[in-house]
Order: sequence, then C-alpha cells, then structure tokens
Amino acid sequence: MVEKYIPASKKEALEVLSKHDCYIVAGGSDLMVMKKNTAGLAPKFDKDILYTSHIDELKGIYEDEAGVHVKAGTTLDEVLNSKLAPALLKKAVSQVASANIRHFATLVGNLANASPAGDTIVVDFLLDAKVKLESVGGERIVDVENFVLGVRKIDRHPDELITELIFPKLDYSGDMWWKVGSRKADSISKVMVAGYWGIRGKIVEKFALSFGSVSIKAVRSHDIEKEIIGLSVSELKARKNEFIEKYGKIVTPIDDQRSNAEYRHKVAMNIVSEFIDKVVGGK
Amino acid sequence: MKINFNMNGKPVEIDVDPSMRFLDVVRDVLHLNGTKEGCGEGSCGACVVLMDGKSVNSCLLPVANAIGHDFVTIEGLKETKEFDILQQAFAEMGGSQCGFCTPGMIIAAYSLLKHNPYPTEAQVREEMSGNLCRCTGYQAIVEAVLKAAKKGAGLW
Repeated sequence: MVEKYIPASKKEALEVLSKHDCYIVAGGSDLMVMKKNTAGLAPKFDKDILYTSHIDELKGIYEDEAGVHVKAGTTLDEVLNSKLAPALLKKAVSQVASANIRHFATLVGNLANASPAGDTIVVDFLLDAKVKLESVGGERIVDVENFVLGVRKIDRHPDELITELIFPKLDYSGDMWWKVGSRKADSISKVMVAGYWGIRGKIVEKFALSFGSVSIKAVRSHDIEKEIIGLSVSELKARKNEFIEKYGKIVTPIDDQRSNAEYRHKVAMNIVSEFIDKVVGGK
Repeated sequence: MKINFNMNGKPVEIDVDPSMRFLDVVRDVLHLNGTKEGCGEGSCGACVVLMDGKSVNSCLLPVANAIGHDFVTIEGLKETKEFDILQQAFAEMGGSQCGFCTPGMIIAAYSLLKHNPYPTEAQVREEMSGNLCRCTGYQAIVEAVLKAAKKGAGLW
C-alpha cells in the first residue's frame, strides 16, 4: 500500500523522509506524466509520496552574501518574474514547456528529475549552482555538477529534501543561450548551449560553456575553459578550430526520436564557433 | 483524505485519493465537464483551469496540490464580463470550430490578459503555445485574443 503524506511544514516533511522512502512531488508536472495511468484513474506510484507544494517556507527567492537562493517550491513563473534571478537563467526558463506548465512546475523539480534534456540544468551547470539538501540530521551543500549523476539519477539520500538551489554571484560581460528544438515554444530540446565570457584589456578573463541534450547529463569542461582563460583575444581567434575540436570530444550525443547524433554534434559545434566569434568580436 | 479548496467562488471539501489528477476531480467528482481531456500529459492545454488566476494543466496537477487554492473553470468564468468579451471575440473572428480546445483557449487567454492586458501578437503566440487547436490554424484564435484585449481595455 502506497502512503501519501501532505506535511504542514518543512520540519514535518523531513520527519516523514527520515522514516519513509518517498517520491517527492513539488509541482508534479514530470512525475504525473511518468506515473500516468489509464484516463480516470490516479497515477500509479510504486512507493510512498510526499507532497510539498503547499509548504510556504519552501517558496521564494532571496539574496545574501552566498548568492541568489531559489527555494525548492518556487515555480518557473516566479523565477521568470523575479528581479533577483540571474538573467541567463530567466532566458532558459522562458523556453521551458509552456506558460500553463510554468505556472506550477518548479525550477528545482527540473533539476531533480535530471533529464538529459532538462533545460535549466544546463544553466545551473554554467552558473556553478549549489544544491542545498536538508534532513533531520542536518544539511549539506553539493555542487550541481556532482549532484547530477546520470539519466534521472541524483545524489539525494532517501531522507533528504532539496530545499534550495543557490546561484553564486558571477560577473561577466556577455552571455548566450541557445535551445534548438522542433518548434519555438513548448519543445523538448535537441541541443542546448549556455555560455558566458569576460574580456579585460585584450585578455579573455572569463570563459564558460555548458551543453545539454548531448550526453547522459549536462556537460561542461573546466579543463578547456582553463586553457582559454588568460589567452589574448587574438590567440583565441587563431586557435578557434583547435578548441572546437576539443569541445567536439566532450559532446557525445545519441540518436533518439527527437534528433540524431550527427545533427546534434554539428549544431553544437556551430554554436561553439559562433560563441567564440562573439567573444573575440567583443560584442 | 479530506481535501479543501475553492472552486468557482465556493468552498469545496472532498474525500478523495490525494494523488488523483485534478482533471478527474473537476470532471468526475464536481461534474464540471467544460474542462476537457486531450493528451493527458500537459501538451495540449484542453484541460487548463485557473489556479489563483493563472492557467494550469489540470491533468498534471495532483489534487493534493490543490489544497487551499482558488480555482475557476470555464463554468465559473462564464459569469464574468471578461468571458463575454472573449466569447464574442472568438465568435467574430472564427476562433472556435469543433470547440474541443475552446474552454482551454478561453482560460489561457484570460490568464494571459489578466497579467498582460496589452499583449503583442508574438506574446499571444508564445503565451498560448501550450494550447493546441487542430481546426483553426491558430490565426483566428490569435486575432480573437488581440481583439478581446482591445475591446476589454482596462477591464482585465
């Protein structure tokens, strides 16, 4: 028998999780599809369910010295309308699903489901987001790149609840976001790329790129970024093809119903090329 | 489990499985059959209802998540001036043909105009991208929403 818990507070939710292994339902937009049953029947869950959407202390966005904190119950629509949320994150959020879904689906839910095509995860990786998990035993903070382990696999222990996603403050001069899909809105992506850069004098001071829908999880190479940071603009321009080739090795897409590996790889590399042009062009 | 929320201005208390889809509660428990089921997975928008003034896919909403919220279905919206304007605009522009998507379209249009009373054509297309129509080709619907925005200026 599957039990359903609707705790009144975060504390009660953590107590439930300390005793029961549960699906955690925030907005529900992914789980309700995954567990879909015949029309007219309740979805089929194979273990207990904890509902969190009504817990007010899990909602909202605030800022402190660590950065911008998006609490786990915050909807995509609330992120989009927030003055605190990073601009690049908002660009990505504006293209997640449809307005109808953004009105109740959550940003943290998009991360927790850990789909290789999760739009906002690509930006979480790029912006060095940190995941805050709480349990009755305490709390821990994990870098998002280590938190996502693979297809629908995350580093959450059964007694833990994700309570926040934290975006540290980053200074950069330009950013870009691409989502390549079959239609302009309401699509699941074929390829996603997020990037930012910073130039001081004629030196590339900041450079970061992350990719989505091209591997089992979002991809980012700190090694390639380290090689690029510190180069002069003209050096980066001269070595552009070398770096495209390097990125080509970490972008490893597959064929599926939305697209094929060859197309995805080609598009991703075209975007890297355009991104480097933008960086060296200083625009 | 006892679940409480407001539906079309009236408090509701029902005793149901909290994992039930809100769509099934609306249609089978409350018998508000204006809300339709299309795809059942959040893509088509035939099932959207207003939750605290914003359109949501009731097929993806567990009824547990309805607790304490205010809902309006097409039956509740029918009593408003905004509905009259939307209905007339849809009729005049040919924004409804078979009618299956229309309750969802009207709810989504209301939600859009409530938060953005003077949308551009691009904004209407983007905001209503989660509502599919197999008859009209969308042009008539977009024109109807723009017409309703103009006619209802100041009302939303």
